Amino acid sequence: MNWSLFSTKSAAVLLSCAFFAGGCATSVERVEVDKTIDLSGAWNDTDSQLVSAEMMQDVLARAWLEDFTRDKKRQPAVIVGEVRNLSHEHINVNTFVSDLERAMINSNRVQFVASSTERQEIREERKDQDLNAAEATRKPMGEEKGADFMLKGTINTIIDASGKTQLRFYQVDLTLISLADNRKVWVGQKKIKKLVERSKLTY
Amino acid sequence: MPQNPMSALRMPGRMESLPARHGRFFVRLAALACVLVLSGCATYSSSFAKIEQQLAGQQYDDALKTIEEKSKSKTERVLYLLDKGMVLRMKRDFAASNESLEAAKQEMERLYAASVSENALSFVVNDATVSYAGDDYEQVLVHLYMALNYLELGERDEARVEALQVDIKLREIGEKIPESKFTEDALARYLTGMIYEELGEWSDAMIAYRKAYEAYKKYQDNFSVAMPDMLKHDLVRLAQREGLTDELAGYRKEFGMVPEKKKAVGTGPEGELVFVLNNGLAPIKREHVVGTFAPPPSVAVDTSRRPRRPAPPMRVIANTRETTAPPVLIHIALPYYESRPCHVSSARISVSGKQADTQLMEDIDAIARSSLSARMPAITARAVARAIAKGAIQESVDKAGQQGDDAGAKLIGSLLVRVAAVATERADTRSWLTLPANVQLARLTLPPGTYDVQMELLGSDGRVMATRVFPQVTIRKERKTYLTQHSVP
Repeated sequence: MNWSLFSTKSAAVLLSCAFFAGGCATSVERVEVDKTIDLSGAWNDTDSQLVSAEMMQDVLARAWLEDFTRDKKRQPAVIVGEVRNLSHEHINVNTFVSDLERAMINSNRVQFVASSTERQEIREERKDQDLNAAEATRKPMGEEKGADFMLKGTINTIIDASGKTQLRFYQVDLTLISLADNRKVWVGQKKIKKLVERSKLTY
Repeated sequence: MPQNPMSALRMPGRMESLPARHGRFFVRLAALACVLVLSGCATYSSSFAKIEQQLAGQQYDDALKTIEEKSKSKTERVLYLLDKGMVLRMKRDFAASNESLEAAKQEMERLYAASVSENALSFVVNDATVSYAGDDYEQVLVHLYMALNYLELGERDEARVEALQVDIKLREIGEKIPESKFTEDALARYLTGMIYEELGEWSDAMIAYRKAYEAYKKYQDNFSVAMPDMLKHDLVRLAQREGLTDELAGYRKEFGMVPEKKKAVGTGPEGELVFVLNNGLAPIKREHVVGTFAPPPSVAVDTSRRPRRPAPPMRVIANTRETTAPPVLIHIALPYYESRPCHVSSARISVSGKQADTQLMEDIDAIARSSLSARMPAITARAVARAIAKGAIQESVDKAGQQGDDAGAKLIGSLLVRVAAVATERADTRSWLTLPANVQLARLTLPPGTYDVQMELLGSDGRVMATRVFPQVTIRKERKTYLTQHSVP
């Protein structure tokens, strides 16, 4: 066997690699909320904002709103139902749902009523008022506003992967369903496609 | 490891008196010594005995504290998160467990890119200097346990997310090493099928059950795990439901099942209890030393003399004449799996007069062993290459020493570099040690209501080893209620 296969120098270089891996202090940089920053290729804030931008613009421009206001002579009341995550990622759907809610309320053309989970807490409070609040400020029970439409939706994904390349396709569908007759009055859709190349080597 | 490296380092007075031209040479020595100190002397698995004891005594909080001591390690971060997640799960804190497992998953994803610097270091130190990203089967099982956590929390859609991720992971593994024995995880596929079925996605459930069926056929050949009866019933039931008459006839013929009038497992107005037994602990990697020392390169030598224990380096040096360099030390340490004792062979659950015994669904012990034996050629090749590199370093240090005329310095240098070579050569004994040795399942159809579930752990002779009652378990209509038990001997 020949032990001189490697020179002392090459051994020393390999060894010194070990000492470069020192730690650095944490650094923080503040960025604008609409700046696109993609890290892992997974669903992130930019995707959520893209979905809300598309949906907000679409939902207020469509005929259902005009039709309802004309027929009923009042603003429609909407309740948020379940937006099911059928994708392959744990996605927080609340971000774009509340963006959409805010846009619709602020347009002054649509009203929102509290969702089933929010309602429980409010009913508790009303029950408490019944016992403890002054007569003039007490809110009676049984006068809740019933919703006209329910907002429901799904997020679906299709993933295709080969080696280090991954194609991710997201489709978000939101639907407004009339509570009176089950009619779907509006369907909003946003598609997002990403090509993710994973690195095979790092320092 | 012995005190030798330490005592050799504690001789500053001797070193300072050496001539200045030895400076460069001592920088190199110091580098080696540093690596030695950094890498530590105990192997990963040997530090696990305390946690194992605490788990056996069900002192989960103490075990978590012990695990927390490992939180600083950069290269073992995945294992720290996996162990923490598993112990939190044993403690039945499923939400916190998922947080930890999700973090482990992200860390694994980050480590998909191999680190050049760590790999270069592993070439001269040992394999354990590379960040541990988890074996293939471990990467799949994270999803399985996260899905089980979500199911116990009643978050079915979140469990479905894990089911989809498992599919992506398994496709990736299958593409990477098509000839590997572990390209499909039967239990993960089966659980995926149950999740889809409960959500009413029949065709997806059928596809998952089919994949589980294919996987169990492979399990039968590779790990002698038989196809579970419940899967047979699921296949027949869903094939019937989907109107797949040919497939249905095929399954009935293969399983020897006669057509029944109507069987309502999980699909009728009744609910179902799914009991998961995580039995024992996965095998543990130990170190096996196969190298001793070789004389200078001119003389061939049998290196397999005394395979278990190398001669103490100190004595080797003392016996050699001072005029020649001490023999070049070759030291090769390889990992092997050791099964951990397991006294429980199965479990029986009893609910209001109904009983069900658990069936073996996944033999993690066998999967881990087969995974290591598939990797062994590569591990051995790396260890041999490293031995050559370390031999080269020893020789070059000897040569550098010969240029000087201080015999003492020469000896210290040669000695130090040999001690470092031997001490740094450790087998990579890292693995997810809180995994069970095997996973078993029992399913019981029950009318909706609240029950006290009694569980008995059975020994190999059918004797009851322990009992436990899960009070107030709610069974909902057309829903599955998941219950987990970890049994650590």
